[in-house]
Amino acid sequence: MSKVESRAGGVEFTGVTKRFVTPSGFAMTAIRDINLSVKPGEFCAIVGPTGCGKSTTLTLAAGLESASAGEVRVSGAPVKGITKGASFVFQTDALLPWKQVVDNVALGQLLKGTKKSVAREKARDWLNVVGLTGFENHYPHQLSGGMRKRVALAAALMNEPTMLLMDEPFSALDVQTRAIMSNELLTMWDKLKPSVLFVTHDLEEAIALADKVVVMTVGPGTVKAVFDIDLPRPRGPVQDIRFEPRFLELYHQIWLALREEVEHAYARSAQAGRGAAA
Amino acid sequence: MSAASTSSAVETVPAGTDLATLSKLARDRHAKYVLQVRITQFAVVAVLLGSWEYLSRIGVIDPFFFGSPLGIVERLYEWFRDGTAYGSLWYQIYVTMTEAFLGFLVGVVAGVVLGVALGEVPFLADVLQPFIKAINALPRIVMGSIFVMWLGLGLPSKVVLAALLVFFVVFFNAFQGVRGVDRNYVANARIMGASRLQVVWHVVIPSAMTWIIASLHVALGLAVIGAIVGEFLGAQYGLGLVIATAQNTFDANGVFGAMLLIGLLATGAEALMAIVEKRLLAWRPPASGESGARGI
Repeated sequence: MSKVESRAGGVEFTGVTKRFVTPSGFAMTAIRDINLSVKPGEFCAIVGPTGCGKSTTLTLAAGLESASAGEVRVSGAPVKGITKGASFVFQTDALLPWKQVVDNVALGQLLKGTKKSVAREKARDWLNVVGLTGFENHYPHQLSGGMRKRVALAAALMNEPTMLLMDEPFSALDVQTRAIMSNELLTMWDKLKPSVLFVTHDLEEAIALADKVVVMTVGPGTVKAVFDIDLPRPRGPVQDIRFEPRFLELYHQIWLALREEVEHAYARSAQAGRGAAA
Repeated sequence: MSAASTSSAVETVPAGTDLATLSKLARDRHAKYVLQVRITQFAVVAVLLGSWEYLSRIGVIDPFFFGSPLGIVERLYEWFRDGTAYGSLWYQIYVTMTEAFLGFLVGVVAGVVLGVALGEVPFLADVLQPFIKAINALPRIVMGSIFVMWLGLGLPSKVVLAALLVFFVVFFNAFQGVRGVDRNYVANARIMGASRLQVVWHVVIPSAMTWIIASLHVALGLAVIGAIVGEFLGAQYGLGLVIATAQNTFDANGVFGAMLLIGLLATGAEALMAIVEKRLLAWRPPASGESGARGI
């Protein structure tokens, strides 16, 4: 245990609020008073209704935005500027379409000043890990959605992050591909053990993957409840775990908490729709 | 274009024909279609030039004002053989192309650098915006007169005019391209530890390249126009001067001949540019409809 604790990657949100100013000049609160802690090597899933500030939470941890109030600490240090040792996997892939697959994966190392040949060699190894040997010199548009996601995973993991931030990474994939990618993610997470903040709107996915599921309230979002997922690891194929009694029990429990928020969010957007129509 | 070729002719193929025969049939049909297009194009040109020549010979159109195809060929031949009033024709071509090329280069580099700088630094863009709009609204071609006054009859005045025309087209596209960069790409690069300059080099410029290259086609034409107009306004050598002289001596064949030459040169430059474009944008997915598959 002490070995895990000494490793970097723990995330700590203390009373974090983030406000934005809309282009029309109104201030809006995206998240308010968030308290959340993720241990080094822990896999934390965040679920919540649309527009509750799940993604904002990730951008704060990455250091892309700074908190309006409260404090975000990663690996024990307050976040100031871009967080070191973080990797981000976006919903729409952020692969650069003008770089070949191998160069996309190698980019992180290149930016750090690694020699191009060395970075490419390492990138090839990682492409091998995600099963894309033979596609090194393809451009992203020549790959399927699932393959592009693997490239993005390889690129994210090659930098050996201590904290992996994922913003609905598999939501654009079809159901089968998503299941395969989830399994691969678990395998690779097990090897490197970064802490993970995984935003999703799919509760099944959240429970199947995570050690801990955080339910957020409707926007401005805050933490409504935190559920520990005590399903044993290694969990095996995520497709199968869904039928286990403990999984269903947890699902039911968390869904009760989440449903309220989803219904609330739906009612609000329906109202806004009527307001706009009137 | 070619997709329409097969829809008009309804052909029945016996059931059970194997795929190899079918694809050969389709290929043959397409080859035949392409040939038909070429023949028709050739016929159009032949009819147009033939009737121009014929009508000028029988005097329906006055060859003095309108020239004639054979007259143009004859004039071009004379120029190539004996040279123009200002020395060999090759030298005139060389002068004009050098001016256009240098103007193109200067204009493109300045346009890209300033476009990217303003796209990256909103404060700079907001300060300079009204000035750029004002300068853009001026008829810039008139500046050619000023440049000839300032810089004389030689090469620099033409280069500056061509560069000025090129600059604005490239600048606006580069600026627009930089503003349109996907924020996710930038965020991702920053998280991977990219510095500001690295973001510009790895993300912003390649992303804006599609826009920049689109502007280069227009820019190329403008560079040639800048050089030629500059020569109209005052020069010692160049195709623009040759045209101006032909105009002053009512030599219609000479004007058309020089025009034809410039057209050919511009087409050649355009072809070179297409090669460069293909290399720079090799990463782009084929646009829909360019997939190359035809229905059979």
